[in-house]
Amino acid sequence: MIQVQNLSKDFSLNRKQRKELGDEYKNTKTLRAVDNISFECQPGRIFGLLGPNGAGKTTTLRMVATMLKPTSGSITVSGFDSVTQGQNVREQIGFMTGQTALYDRLTPTEMVKYIADLHGMEKSAFQKRKDHLFQILDMHSFADRRISRLSTGMKQKTSIARTIIHDPQVMIFDEPTAGLDVMTSRAIMDLIRSCREEGKTVIFSTHRMGEVNQVCDDISIIYNGRLFYNNTLDQFKAEMTQATFEDEFIYRVGEA
Amino acid sequence: MNLYIEWGRPKLKFLIIARKEIIDITRDRRTIIMMIVVPLFLIPVLIGTITKISFSQAKKASEKHLKVRFFGQEFAPDLFQAFINMDKVTMLNQIPEDSVESYIQNEYLDAAIYIDSDYQFQIDQNGQAKINIHFKGTDSFGITKDRINGVLKGFENQIVTKRMNRLNLKPEVVKAYNLTYKDVASKQEKFGKIAGGWFPYVFIIFGFMGAMYPAIDLGAGEKERGTLETILSSPASRLDIVLGKFLVVMLAAVLTAFIALAGMAIGIQSIPEIPPEMLVIINEVLSPKTIGLIMTLVLPVAAFFSAVLLGLSVYAKSFKEAQSIMAPLNIVIIFPAVIGTLPGIELNTITALIPVLNVSLASKDIIAGVMDPFLMTEVYVSLFGLAGLAIFWCVKWFNRESTIFRS
Repeated sequence: MIQVQNLSKDFSLNRKQRKELGDEYKNTKTLRAVDNISFECQPGRIFGLLGPNGAGKTTTLRMVATMLKPTSGSITVSGFDSVTQGQNVREQIGFMTGQTALYDRLTPTEMVKYIADLHGMEKSAFQKRKDHLFQILDMHSFADRRISRLSTGMKQKTSIARTIIHDPQVMIFDEPTAGLDVMTSRAIMDLIRSCREEGKTVIFSTHRMGEVNQVCDDISIIYNGRLFYNNTLDQFKAEMTQATFEDEFIYRVGEA
Repeated sequence: MNLYIEWGRPKLKFLIIARKEIIDITRDRRTIIMMIVVPLFLIPVLIGTITKISFSQAKKASEKHLKVRFFGQEFAPDLFQAFINMDKVTMLNQIPEDSVESYIQNEYLDAAIYIDSDYQFQIDQNGQAKINIHFKGTDSFGITKDRINGVLKGFENQIVTKRMNRLNLKPEVVKAYNLTYKDVASKQEKFGKIAGGWFPYVFIIFGFMGAMYPAIDLGAGEKERGTLETILSSPASRLDIVLGKFLVVMLAAVLTAFIALAGMAIGIQSIPEIPPEMLVIINEVLSPKTIGLIMTLVLPVAAFFSAVLLGLSVYAKSFKEAQSIMAPLNIVIIFPAVIGTLPGIELNTITALIPVLNVSLASKDIIAGVMDPFLMTEVYVSLFGLAGLAIFWCVKWFNRESTIFRS
């Protein structure tokens, strides 16, 4: 479970950044990327964090994954506080982005083993889990080939395997399908669904409304760092005034 | 069998990270070229080529056939004869006087000797005969001047001896001192003071170069590939990550420095022109004890380089930016290292505190076998203190969100 309470994040701005942002930021020293947001992600449900580019989705997820420290507010992941118990939080999570984020000079086996070692997995547990994942992802044929020589699809499978090798209870997907083809995107969506079936807590950021409709149970919409919608997907559908999800999303963002 | 599994299973996370980084960088062609190929093959080739060229140039110069124009042979026939009797010389007496300068300038002629008309009168009257010698001073070995001087000195000695006899004087009249020199410096000391500066220079430069590519790859490279988030979201702490990476960069720096030394040893051994007695001295000087002592200086300086380079690399947004940030540092490193090779610059209470320069000077003293315990302590305290500060800065820097996520 993830609980986010009154979360805010400010980034300090240097002179160059202030200039780039225009007159509005001429006299401010910080930029508020996330502004007092609260939400909850339940186990066995998929929570969609929606918003256009630059809305604050990645900053929020990086705070949940303890990469960034909140300026104010709190986050608990499986009961652990993200600031004071960062290592416990990281032991609970699997983090995946649209980039495959793999080490090109390692093989899939080595890549997965590296993450398993960092999670302190025992050798036998690792071997069993790796065999299982490589079997269901059909990775055995390229398990010992350098990642740099793999196709995009193979890389994405490796990325999935390294994300879930330690069987995390909380999954964080930050725009995991960005830039991927239809086939690879489908594999990711299947993974997200399977996480729900296994009772994991899933938080999934995207700006693709089609994907939201496919997998999400709960959604929040974030824009300019503020959360202005937080409810179930069914409720969102019931409240729709526009013809399509995409139109409704654009309409609501425009209203925000 | 897979190397990764073969290495066992360290429990400490920074060791897990270090192990992975070692595998990663040893598969990077650029790092291997910088770390092994350049110092191990390029240094011997460079040493061999430079020595061969300078030996052959020196040989060529010493065997050079001098072309000399002698003016006033009628005033000093015996001196003229002495030049004719000289080895490897051709007297070109048909060259007109007004063309001599241009002939020398264009290297058709090596020297012109002008004898004054009152030469014999001055010699007979115990006076000073004037002789003008024109030559081109760009002759790199000064061989023309030396050989002409040799003939003139020999002839002058004969004249002086004749004068002394004529005046019934003993040689002591013009030579008041009987000087005898006893050099107490050992061969090792002399070698250390003359050539010792170049050994640490090679260590320092190659240590720095060896650390540079792994540092870029492990910092900015990780950012560029997008893998930083993968490791930041793992249970490894920031300290684990930075320590693991730092250890590998430092290992690369020390290894490169060590390989550079091996390269130098191979280079020196493979030069046939080096006299065997000189080789014996070099081998004595570069004993395992000396190398071990020098490596104790290389360790803290490698730690310092590694921490600074890793910190800068983490700050950079890309591989390219990291390279452009680090390139000027080469000059900063080379400058004090070169100063250390200059004669007259010694290890003292001030130079012992200047990083890089202190390594260079302390290594010179180690090679010469003249270590001052107080100054050596100062060097170690300064180097380890600086390395500690650099590591502390690197860890702090790595913990800054604005550094890690700078975009």
